[in-house]
Amino acid sequence: MRRFRITVNGLAYEVEVEELASDGAVVAPEPAVQPAAPQTQSRSAAAAPQPPAAAPAPAAAEPRPKSVPQQAAPAGAGAVTAPLPGAVLDVKVKVGDTVKEGQVLAILEAMKMENEITAPRAGKVSAVHVRPGSAVGLGDAILEIE
Amino acid sequence: MSDRLQDLAARRKKAMAGGGPKRMERQHQLGKWTARERIAALFDPGTFVELDLFTTHRSTLFGMDKADAPADGVVTGYGAVDGRLMYAFAQDFTVLGGSLGEMHAGKIHKVQDLALKSGAPIIGIADSGGARIQEGIDALNGYGEIFRRNTLASGVVPQISVIVGPAAGGAVYSPAITDFVLMAEGIGQMYITGPQVIESVTGEKVTHEELGGAHTHAHRSGNAHLTFATEAELFLGLRRLLRYIPSNNTAQPPQMEPQEPPSGSAERLRGIVPADANKPYDVRDVIHSMVDGGDFLELQPEFARNLVIGFGRVEGHPVAMIGNQPKVLAGCLDIDASDKLARFVRFADAFSIPLVTFVDTPGYLPGTKQEYGGIIRHGAKVLYAYSEATVPKVSIILRKAYGGAYLAMCSRSLGADAVLAFPTAEVAVMGPDGAANIIFRGEIDSAKDAVAERKRLVETYRAEFASPYIAAAHGYVDQVIDPAELRPAVARALWAMRHKREERPPKKHGNIPL
Repeated sequence: MRRFRITVNGLAYEVEVEELASDGAVVAPEPAVQPAAPQTQSRSAAAAPQPPAAAPAPAAAEPRPKSVPQQAAPAGAGAVTAPLPGAVLDVKVKVGDTVKEGQVLAILEAMKMENEITAPRAGKVSAVHVRPGSAVGLGDAILEIE
Repeated sequence: MSDRLQDLAARRKKAMAGGGPKRMERQHQLGKWTARERIAALFDPGTFVELDLFTTHRSTLFGMDKADAPADGVVTGYGAVDGRLMYAFAQDFTVLGGSLGEMHAGKIHKVQDLALKSGAPIIGIADSGGARIQEGIDALNGYGEIFRRNTLASGVVPQISVIVGPAAGGAVYSPAITDFVLMAEGIGQMYITGPQVIESVTGEKVTHEELGGAHTHAHRSGNAHLTFATEAELFLGLRRLLRYIPSNNTAQPPQMEPQEPPSGSAERLRGIVPADANKPYDVRDVIHSMVDGGDFLELQPEFARNLVIGFGRVEGHPVAMIGNQPKVLAGCLDIDASDKLARFVRFADAFSIPLVTFVDTPGYLPGTKQEYGGIIRHGAKVLYAYSEATVPKVSIILRKAYGGAYLAMCSRSLGADAVLAFPTAEVAVMGPDGAANIIFRGEIDSAKDAVAERKRLVETYRAEFASPYIAAAHGYVDQVIDPAELRPAVARALWAMRHKREERPPKKHGNIPL
């Protein structure tokens, strides 16, 4: 068990870090992250960090089931994601374009195939995250439709 | 006598009224049909014979002595669908919420037994709040005996589940064991544990429809084979599905008048599969161009779209079609596609429906997600199901057929009776890039310009090996055909195998990797 002091927005936290076994087993109940006593900075008032307007919610204070899966990089609700890791060959739309469901948005070369990336639904392209030549991983957002 | 007849008429009327006009009305307001309306939509007019109309529960606990339950909340019987005998049960949500009690279950057991004895398909129409809790373990036992009968009938008579209401907890296991599950959107819902339980245990918030609606089971879980916007469409779709399926494992699938595919199909087939192996296409275009009337009933169309399955006819005979789909995930096989394929092949084999397989796959999908998810045991199902099948097996290699995935897709090695190939076929131990890297490693490493040398050797390998002709020279491919000849070539191969007999050693049952 190692202990760290971390200061966020002028509020110091004491954090205990414990390494888990490879099977993920936790030996002792996980201590919740607790704000340490806010440090009264003895420096001049002008330099004193502003205390946060609202006390930071101790998010981890509530005991929660451990196995709630977390998405590594959650794509936005309207994101069109890469079904395979590969390289973008062509982007057929630009921001502001209106697209129909099933319309080809981009070509992703993966598994030696020029895979058509199609619109899952109709909408307007609000962002394009890739260019021809971009490499994308499985599940990476290619563009957004709103 | 007339008194007795009047009494009978009155009793019938009361039992047929189900939960009464108010609850019937409520059912209609929800966009749902009543149990007897569903039965009427399924069977040919006037052919349904209802059994156990006067059955009711015998429970006295928890106020059940006062509960009136006409027909105990389920309509059961038999009738004709396109003139063929079929059994059905339809749960009646207007009677005690369609809840399953001892006698309700007993009525279902009876039609399950009759269907099995008489070699007739059975259709279960689910619309039930679940177990009738007041009847305790007798209700629970009722479910268990349904599951056991579903299992014993599996592979003997076709079993189809129609989900047009809630089906929660144990109630979903019966549909899961049956051969096909049809759902109506916004009406049918299936889950093992409902939204409230999920939220209390894991904190996840989800609606009934998101969790277990038709869309979810069609797209994500793969539990639904066909989904429909309305009940009217569902029952038409069900009757269409039944036209491909024999009454039992000893009967032949229903034949129809042969029909030609849409005109111009033969010529069109020459242009569907691009010679460039990097270009995608829709394998369903190939299927539509070679089946009778261009009529293909795709199953699980939204699930594991990298593999296409469904029924069509060739010269009037039902055929189970399987095809890699190059336009989705490059046509790779993955866990879901393997499960989808294997279960369909086993259904077709159990019910004497020949298998026609269209091959164009670069291989099994690489990635840690697949490996950790158990692609080894899931992928093995494909090999197992094809090897086990004794129905006529015809394969057509359209383009890529590499390595393990080539073997898996009903290759000669797994017992295909006829293997055809388009001239665009590439049958090899692996793709040209991978193979060149291994075979010519020395040459590439020692070359001054390794990149150029590698490219040259890949092309050498492609020209030499990425064709159907080595496989044809060694007898793994029987015929290389002009795509325009696809339909007659497949039709003749199926015709030649119509009386195929292939024995298997006696055994209790195999042990398919699950």
